[in-house]
Amino acid sequence: MNELMPEHFMFLSAALFIIGMVGVLTRRNVLVIFMCVELMLTAVNISFIGFAWEFSQLTGQIFALFIIAIAAAEAVIGLGIIMALTRQRDTVDIDEVRELRQ
Amino acid sequence: MAAEVLVFNLLSGIAIVSAAAMIMMRNPVHSAIALVITFVNVAAVFIMLRAEFLAVVQIIVYTGAILVLILFVLMLVNPDELPDFHGARPMQQIFGFGLGIILLAEIAVAILTRTVVAEPGPWTEDGMAAVGGNVQAIGQVLYSGYVLPIQATALVLLAATIGALFLGRPDEDEEPTPSRRTVATISLAHTRGSDQDEIPALSSANIKHEAGDRDLIMARDADEFTSTPEDDQKGQQE
Amino acid sequence: MSSWLFLIPLLPLAAAVINFLFGRWFLQHASQWIATLAVAASFVLSIPVFLQIASDEQSISQHLYTWIPAGDFNIPVTLFVDQLTATMLLVVSGVGLLVHIYSIGYMHGDPGIYRFFSYLPLFVFSMLMLVLADNFLVLFVFWEAVGLCSFLLIGFWYRRRSAASAAKKAFIVNRVGDFGFGIGILLIFVTYGTIEYAGVFGQVGDATQTTITVIALLLFTGAIGKSAQLPLFVWLPDAMEGPTPVSALIHAATMVTAGIFVIARAYPIVSQSADAMLVIAIIGAATAFIAATIAVTQYDIKKVVAYSTVSQLGFMAFALGSGAWIAAIFHLVTHAFFKGLLFLGAGSVIHGMHEEQDMRKMGGLKKYMPLTYWTFLIGAAANAGIIPLAGFWSKDEIILGTWLGDQPIIMVVAFITAFFTSLYMFRAVFMTFHGEERFDAEQVHPHESPRVMTIPLVVLAFFAVTVGFIGFPPEDGWFHHFLDPVFPGMPHPDVAWSTIVLFAAISTVIALSGLYIQYMAYVKRSISPRGISELLGPLYKLAANRWYLDEIYDVLIVRPLVAFSMFLWRFVDAQVIDGTVNGVGSLVTYTSNQWRRAQTGLIANYVFAIALGAVIIIGAFMIFGSNLFE
Repeated sequence: MNELMPEHFMFLSAALFIIGMVGVLTRRNVLVIFMCVELMLTAVNISFIGFAWEFSQLTGQIFALFIIAIAAAEAVIGLGIIMALTRQRDTVDIDEVRELRQ
Repeated sequence: MAAEVLVFNLLSGIAIVSAAAMIMMRNPVHSAIALVITFVNVAAVFIMLRAEFLAVVQIIVYTGAILVLILFVLMLVNPDELPDFHGARPMQQIFGFGLGIILLAEIAVAILTRTVVAEPGPWTEDGMAAVGGNVQAIGQVLYSGYVLPIQATALVLLAATIGALFLGRPDEDEEPTPSRRTVATISLAHTRGSDQDEIPALSSANIKHEAGDRDLIMARDADEFTSTPEDDQKGQQE
Repeated sequence: MSSWLFLIPLLPLAAAVINFLFGRWFLQHASQWIATLAVAASFVLSIPVFLQIASDEQSISQHLYTWIPAGDFNIPVTLFVDQLTATMLLVVSGVGLLVHIYSIGYMHGDPGIYRFFSYLPLFVFSMLMLVLADNFLVLFVFWEAVGLCSFLLIGFWYRRRSAASAAKKAFIVNRVGDFGFGIGILLIFVTYGTIEYAGVFGQVGDATQTTITVIALLLFTGAIGKSAQLPLFVWLPDAMEGPTPVSALIHAATMVTAGIFVIARAYPIVSQSADAMLVIAIIGAATAFIAATIAVTQYDIKKVVAYSTVSQLGFMAFALGSGAWIAAIFHLVTHAFFKGLLFLGAGSVIHGMHEEQDMRKMGGLKKYMPLTYWTFLIGAAANAGIIPLAGFWSKDEIILGTWLGDQPIIMVVAFITAFFTSLYMFRAVFMTFHGEERFDAEQVHPHESPRVMTIPLVVLAFFAVTVGFIGFPPEDGWFHHFLDPVFPGMPHPDVAWSTIVLFAAISTVIALSGLYIQYMAYVKRSISPRGISELLGPLYKLAANRWYLDEIYDVLIVRPLVAFSMFLWRFVDAQVIDGTVNGVGSLVTYTSNQWRRAQTGLIANYVFAIALGAVIIIGAFMIFGSNLFE
């Protein structure tokens, strides 16, 4: 393997994405889950940028740019919600938030 | 060329290990620091993939803004008051890791057995150099073909800002002042609220006295006035 | 001229819409002038049309727009005027105008007056469009529209239970006929591939004899309902619940003659089928006779006139069936005038008697309302066929037509019916206006109606006297030559003068004998009507009870239908349908409750479901390859 191949970044992307997914599935702290979501978004960005690199396109990079912008918005709202949750419930345990049931 | 692969593998290795550390750490602050390492390495990978602009954006937005924000929130949440927990229930852990392994296997098979075929575009290393670099190239593409999406994104960011302001606004006063309340009931016996002065049991002066400065339009019975602002408050909290 | 033809129906429609939209809050009594002026304008516009048709003998048509353009199926809305239509235009708008004027007096002070003066021009519009149509579908649409107006106007005083049920009865009974009429139009389309008059009439012979007969009979089914023939005439007497001007305009002069008009319009089809014409003749004769016998026994002045209408419609029907086409239309025209006159006269009596309709509580009204008396007498005499009034000429011609059409039995029935006609008409006149005053003079103060009501009476009386002369001499009058192009190929037998005089003499003798008998009975009192009715015994009872037709329908149709409806309601609807619906509802509720347990509220579980879904989809994709979704 002398050259940088597409498989390289694909495996990196897949690994980070799955680590993020496992984190979301196994952790209970809302903040950690939130960080895992950010990790998953970044993993997807790697794929986009990697394919853009492979095919000499820029569309992938544009997409990644939009994803980062949306991620920023999502982070603001998500953290705002976490703050509100902490104030109201005094907890960051996701299992104690069960209002969706009703 | 082997050096490039070596560097890539090194960067990816650090990114993956620190990502794994992020989900393993007991302390959320440590998790956040592990995530910073991952993001920096990923930004380096971006540079290798000819996305210098995005690498910078990655550092500024993710490590600079979002993670700092996360750390702020972590500081605001008093760690002593956090419930003592690390992972989830055992079943959840088993299923989570199981699913992760299966998915990894599936994607690995996919990556190894399939190839993505597409038409190569003009933005090779030379192509980007011709317009002045990666930033210029992105600018050219972004502001010629994606004007409307970028404005929509701007709107999303604006909405998010307003939403964050709303979510983060300070609590109402500890003792809420009784709000002026209008009691309006629909009378079956009279049309168009004509029975405003037809409340036989309670004279209007009486009502004014009991109900403070609340507006009373009409009511069929006295129960209408027994609920106080305190009651209402309780009802909202439940 | 053809360019403003559309104004004739449009003006009444505009008046109807304006009165309906603005009548209640803005116009009130002003609505009557809008309606009357619009109908008057229609009448004035109809005159030059009629004159042009009379001078050119060319039909006029004006294409308005294409209603349904669907490939080969093209329904244009085209106004079409020939001699028949021109005649109908004058009758409809002329009688309509007089009735409008009369209504101004009759409906004075009624709170729903704007409603009345919006329905009435709407009816005039519909009726004008019905006669102006140039294809069967437009005809059918306005055929139903006049039915709707009839329903609205019969039930005008809808707070009265009897009026509301009479309106329903009229509407439902008419549906039976309209059903056949609709099928007839479908059959015409299936057979000839078009429903435009010109197209259909041009290729009548292409169909088999049976098809022609079936089409003719189906069209006549519609006429049975609308023109109140046996066995569907039961709605017309009940329709007298409506205001009297409505009875005059819709249920005497115009709408009920739509059936006769349609049969005449379909002359090229109907005349090809001897069987259908025989059926029409028999039903018409039976209707005429039965209705006349009932009319003799009635005490309600409006009911007498109503049964008289049914009877006269029967005359027209059997005239059509016997081949006396022009005589039928002639009778339609004269009947419109004298029957409108009789109804308006009856309305004037009722108005003057403070809404009393029972002739047993009248009598001697001659001196209180002389104008009404004389005009009513003229109408009655015209209806009874006293020479030389309008009814005499047309009725005489119909009877002559049955003889020429080789229908001796029907001719005999016609003579008998003419005798009964004279009986019931003069019975009504003498009971109402002559003899002792049987009303309570303390309570009731009979008075002549206002001028706005009597002027139409005088105008109609004038026509009831004179309009018959357009058909003089019989079989060769001006009216015959005018209408001749409408009925191409109709035989013109030469009639000897002696025959005409003979028939006229018989008719006159019959009419005068009826007059004499009633004069003896109700004025001289030398004959006791009670004695006669007891002498006839069961026959009298049969007629007085309207031949038990309502009762027969009740037993044969209404009760089984109600029982079946109850079965549908109690069992099919309440048990089967509701049970199914509720069962589906309960099933959904039950399964939903089971599935609700899946919603734990734990976000981890939801995320797990998402991840599992991703794993499954990607796995399936890996196993089945990229053609998974093809």
